[in-house]
Amino acid sequence: MPPYDDWNKIDEDEDEELQDFSMFETKRDVILFCIDCSESMLEQYESSKYEDKQTCKLYDALEAAMNIQKKKIISGPNDLVGILLFNTTRKSEVNRNQGSEIKRNTFLYQPIAPLSAPTIQELIRLLDAALEDQRELRTEFPPLTEGRVPMGDVFTSCNWVLRDGAPKTASKRVFLITDEDNPHPGLGSHQLTTSARTTLVDLIQAGVTVEPFFISTDEKPFDMSKFYSSVLGPTNLVDEYELAEDGSVLPENISISRVEELLEQMRFREVPKRALFSIPFHLAKGFTIGIKGYSLVTEQTKGTYEYFVDLGDRMEVAAVKTSYVDEDRQAEADRTKIVYGTDLGASSAADEEEQDNEESTTSGVRVVKTGNRPFYTAEEIRSFRTMGLEPGIKLLGFKDRSELEFEDNVRHSQFIYPDEMAYSGSKRTFSALLKSMLKKDKIGLALVLTRRNSSPVFCALLPQEEKKDEFGWPDPAGFHLIQLPFADDIRQAPIQEAFKASKDIVEYAYAWVDKLIIKNIGTYPPDSYPNPALAYHNAQLQASAFREEFDPDSFEDLSLPKTGSMHKRAGKLMKLWKTELQNDPSASIVVPATGTKRKADVSVDEAEIRSKYEAGHLAKLRVDQLKEFLKSKGQSVSGKKDELIGRVAQWIEEH
Amino acid sequence: MPAERAGYTVTMFLIDISSSMGAIRTVDIETPDGHTQSVEMTNLQWGLQYVKLKVQEMVYNGRKTDQCGVIVFGSEHTRNIVNAANGGYDNVLEYIPIAQPNSNTITKIDALEPSSVSGDPVDALIVGIETQAKYLVNKKTWTRKIILVTDAESPIELEDWEATAKKMNQLNVSLTVVGIDFDDEEHGYHEPNKSNIKRTNEGFYVDLTSTMESGIVGSCEYVLQNISAPESKTVKSVLLGTVIRVGDVFSRSDEALEFSVKASKATAVARPKSWKKFILRTKDKVTAPDGMVIDEEPEGDDEKSAYAQLRMRTDFYIDRNAVKEEEIDEDVEMKEEDDNAMLLEATQGEDADRNKKKNTLEKVEKEVLVRGFKYGTTYAPCLDGQFPRLQTHKGIDICGFFPIKNFRRELSMSEVQYIWADPSSPQEQVALSSVVQAMVKKGVMAIGRWVSRDGMDPKMGVLMPVENPGVHYFLWCQMPFADDVRKYSFASLDHLVNKKGQVISEHPYLPTEKQLAAMDDFVDAMDLMSAGKDEDGNRVPWFNPIEVYNPAVHRVKQAMFHCAVVNDIATNPLPPPHPELTKYFEPPKKVLKKAQNAIEECQLAFNVKEVPKRVTRAKKDTHAHAHDDDDDDMLLLDEKKPSANASHYDIVGASAIIQGKGVEIEDDDDDLMEHKKLSMATPANEKGGPLPTLARSISPLVDPGIAPGRIIGNTYPLKDFKKNLAQGDVVTKAVEDLSSIIVEVVMRPFGSRRTQEMLDCMIQLRNTCLTEDEIAKWNSFIVDLKQKCLSKAGNLDFWRAVQDFGRGLSLISKQEAKQQGGESDVTENDAGEFISSK
Repeated sequence: MPPYDDWNKIDEDEDEELQDFSMFETKRDVILFCIDCSESMLEQYESSKYEDKQTCKLYDALEAAMNIQKKKIISGPNDLVGILLFNTTRKSEVNRNQGSEIKRNTFLYQPIAPLSAPTIQELIRLLDAALEDQRELRTEFPPLTEGRVPMGDVFTSCNWVLRDGAPKTASKRVFLITDEDNPHPGLGSHQLTTSARTTLVDLIQAGVTVEPFFISTDEKPFDMSKFYSSVLGPTNLVDEYELAEDGSVLPENISISRVEELLEQMRFREVPKRALFSIPFHLAKGFTIGIKGYSLVTEQTKGTYEYFVDLGDRMEVAAVKTSYVDEDRQAEADRTKIVYGTDLGASSAADEEEQDNEESTTSGVRVVKTGNRPFYTAEEIRSFRTMGLEPGIKLLGFKDRSELEFEDNVRHSQFIYPDEMAYSGSKRTFSALLKSMLKKDKIGLALVLTRRNSSPVFCALLPQEEKKDEFGWPDPAGFHLIQLPFADDIRQAPIQEAFKASKDIVEYAYAWVDKLIIKNIGTYPPDSYPNPALAYHNAQLQASAFREEFDPDSFEDLSLPKTGSMHKRAGKLMKLWKTELQNDPSASIVVPATGTKRKADVSVDEAEIRSKYEAGHLAKLRVDQLKEFLKSKGQSVSGKKDELIGRVAQWIEEH
Repeated sequence: MPAERAGYTVTMFLIDISSSMGAIRTVDIETPDGHTQSVEMTNLQWGLQYVKLKVQEMVYNGRKTDQCGVIVFGSEHTRNIVNAANGGYDNVLEYIPIAQPNSNTITKIDALEPSSVSGDPVDALIVGIETQAKYLVNKKTWTRKIILVTDAESPIELEDWEATAKKMNQLNVSLTVVGIDFDDEEHGYHEPNKSNIKRTNEGFYVDLTSTMESGIVGSCEYVLQNISAPESKTVKSVLLGTVIRVGDVFSRSDEALEFSVKASKATAVARPKSWKKFILRTKDKVTAPDGMVIDEEPEGDDEKSAYAQLRMRTDFYIDRNAVKEEEIDEDVEMKEEDDNAMLLEATQGEDADRNKKKNTLEKVEKEVLVRGFKYGTTYAPCLDGQFPRLQTHKGIDICGFFPIKNFRRELSMSEVQYIWADPSSPQEQVALSSVVQAMVKKGVMAIGRWVSRDGMDPKMGVLMPVENPGVHYFLWCQMPFADDVRKYSFASLDHLVNKKGQVISEHPYLPTEKQLAAMDDFVDAMDLMSAGKDEDGNRVPWFNPIEVYNPAVHRVKQAMFHCAVVNDIATNPLPPPHPELTKYFEPPKKVLKKAQNAIEECQLAFNVKEVPKRVTRAKKDTHAHAHDDDDDDMLLLDEKKPSANASHYDIVGASAIIQGKGVEIEDDDDDLMEHKKLSMATPANEKGGPLPTLARSISPLVDPGIAPGRIIGNTYPLKDFKKNLAQGDVVTKAVEDLSSIIVEVVMRPFGSRRTQEMLDCMIQLRNTCLTEDEIAKWNSFIVDLKQKCLSKAGNLDFWRAVQDFGRGLSLISKQEAKQQGGESDVTENDAGEFISSK
């Protein structure tokens, strides 16, 4: 990670990669967990996670909420969360933040507030207590014994809580967790349904998305049609601007799962779905549809540290401001008056001599006749970068799928999905194009400019078929935009010739390769590899915030190869291959030193070095010999002779 | 010739400034919009363009070992090393000594003016060779280049030039002669009225360069053209050593294996060079500390301005009075604005400013700051800027293999690297080769975990085996960690479920068989697999990345060069981009031509319409905002001035009517019942904008009144209708749309003000139906209209107006139809009855 200052120096209007994510960071996200607290949610059962412990659905829901908060606090430290419980008789205390009292039988356990270590710790303490004493949750949040609170009241409470607690500009979501598929059976159900629907519409009008997580069990499968399908209905599609997409289609974001999968389901929605761009897709002249682009694969980094000032009573983040100054005059430039030009080049010694006597310029200054301007405005340089194009995707034609080579890659892909709100008929057109290309095994070639400030690139459009996976995440239908390298980006292979293995050795290699094929997944499984460096960092960050001791030994790196089973499966075969390699004639070939410069013979046998090491005579080797050896082992060759000897010794010890 | 080393070059520019170079010529320059513009300049200025561009290239690359010197001949002054030593060589002036050039070098070159005398280029050549040789006396390996710019109008002493050529060959000098208006056989240019002396001299230059091992003559016109062509910089990748490990080499080294490999980049994104920021210095406060030019300049006389390069400065500020966590969102936003304002003002008068604003922003020194991470509102100090890192070992660990056919290409998330076997170890080459071959044979690729240096963060990736005829290697590409994958949910494109849980098979979102077929034709027609040609003229796929330049990189470079060599952008605008850069911006012409039919088919079949952009939602959402924002504003305006803009008002009303009555307005709208239900159930739902697939949205800005899915707008229906008829083949659709619009307009609250217009529409509509065999459509339309008009919420007045018009707007009868060759089952009698009955 580069130091903060360097990172900050990247020109705001020039680096594309950074802008990709800036929008994720600037817009804050608010999640209100809205959890059912009724009798059935409190029913105890054997925990699948903790031995000899009883849990209940409420516990699992709160635990999931806690885990989401833990994740969020790192990915978006400025985000806000709150927890609202319903079907409990516990009364909310009126506090100063909450302008209006919320409805009866709903209880605001955590008001909407910025994520913080103390609130998470408080939740953890509650959970720990509940695990010890199964009555804890029941006494904390006594369930409503008679009847249920109308869902309309729940939505209204959510609305008030969010209205009072959430910033206006943030994206706001309610995670609704319940196991009751029919909260209002019997008399008055129609009215209650209507009121639930009306209040939900109000909520949506306020810019809130409701993401339901319905808990289904074998004994009591969750039946959408009983109540929720008519309430959630079509208006629930307030995903960004996708308001009321279509009356006849159920919302896409309803999750019905077993309680064990609750956390996983929530993780899918932990980050609000946000489009990176929304631009026209020109299939041909006069044949344009709307699409939205998403980053489905984006490298998550540790984030950058900030600077804090110790104010005695608290730490305050220092605001970083960059300005542009004319250094000779120490004058700050008015941003609107800045013009752009090329580097004037290093000033030479000759220039400096001349400065004293001649009419010359100092470095960093260009003198022109008054009225002349050999510089560009910001608008002009933007047009050079965009080549005068407007944002959009322009289809150039189709090629065989096989034309998309492995090596034609420079960055992560993006995903596009039709946007009916920009062009009506986009979905059917997009769908037809996708089907046709899949059928013919084609990829598209397109000229792509995603934002007004970026540069045009050529992308392959890789069609993805819609697939419902049994347990995993379904593959959505759409195209992956894969940016192709330009001639300027392609490096030629520096090595053209090398020794090749004979058939026999290939057979030996084949034997162990065959044994090490990953069974049952059959492809690269991103889910199996959480980023260990990131997790390690986050664990320490959390420990530091919680004022706990971090134990590095408890950390498990899941990305490490499973060497144990590898050796079990193929160890013997690998050994055979190794022996065969030793016997190969290539072992004795010495490559003549290439290059024009004549070099002293620095090649030293590994065996010789080992024997020197064992005899303690490493110091007898010359520096260039040591370096050559280290270089051949891919080790650093910097430092003094002592350091080199140390490094050689270390290498030998380890191998 | 071995690959040229970048840099390590001294280029001598020998520039002819003889009086003949002062001749004025007219040069056509292209403006960015593609027009040409004539500009007058001297031959010298023209030739200097080339010199300046060449020098700018050196400035741009910024290599210390890329140096140049300028010698002018035909000067009134004489100053050169040969003259100093031996005398002679008059009128040759060493104008700029050899050094790394910068922008001042260009300014100086720019200042050159034609003299009143003439000079001998051979003298200059000898001085150039000597000056260069003297400078490079200890740098024998450097490349020597001489570029001579001349109009060849001055006499040359043609004696002994062979010795000069020999000397240049000895020293390995390459000579480029850039001739103003030299004849160019290849480009078919012959200067008319060429002087004898020039003809002789041109011949001499050709002789001279052809005797040399590397010498060339080019016309100025040609070289100027050539210099703006894009050219990729070839970068040789560095080989970085690492190891590949299979198994546990630390504790089970008997079985585990490890071989050393080299990694080098296969793709690396080239970015445009960044712009430097400048600002025009204002003259009033000249307080330059180091005694700059501007101070000394007398006012008014040959006035000059200075643009100063800006440097970035980072400052830290703290707001001591910031109240914690109060009104978070506003606070933050406000603060940002304030900061900006503060900063701008701060420079002008810091103290005054601070007093003025109670908001106490205070600058803090970087030294007193503590580094740390935010953990929500909590802060976790972290003195080094990072926590202890995960312990890792350099190398690539193989985690397993999987079949190549299952590889998900879209997961590739980085630039690609080559992984080679160590070039100095045949045994390791064999080892890597055997693994590559085994993997190819099995059809698998490997999952690897790469740590670039000890202690660095690991990356996951895949290793793709490649068997090249000469060498076997791997290609590496980074794959995402679990944390890097975002699993957004997207609605299914195929699987639509209605509220009752039933799967729908027909819907505007689902392509029909006809549409699918049209798309298939389109995809076939736009195929690029044989749309390109290789060097031998064979058909190959169009577009190969290796031949495609990054337009932005080269355009920015061109712009940078341009502004470095000209004095004013306004009078000397940047020419348009080189055609090579925009070569792939359009599909190949042949393909487009062939696909024309398929494209038109698709346009018709899919009938995609742009939905007008909505103005950003108002923050406070209330039920009063029942309509689309665009319409809303209109509505409010209209209410203030009811008569001002009636047609817009009508548009708003239109959507309400359609919803209320459930009028079917689009032929592929099959799920009418659902929609109707929706629109009735949630009137507030409208707020988010009408469903675009239904023909409800209105675009007052873009295309007045034309709803998506329609070809006729509400605002000027008759005009639109006629226009469509004139265009031809979509009569049915036009008739349908106009019918719907008439009904809509008539059924609106204030429909009466458009009565006459609607009657005109009906006359035209009936006429068209009669002649274009859409009789059934008219008959059902008029029945529908009558019924609606006479209904409770109808428009009796309008129907009266129709009745007043009489028989000419009634049902189309058998007889009438027959005259036009059409069919109807309405008798003449019925037709009369229909219109007259109450």
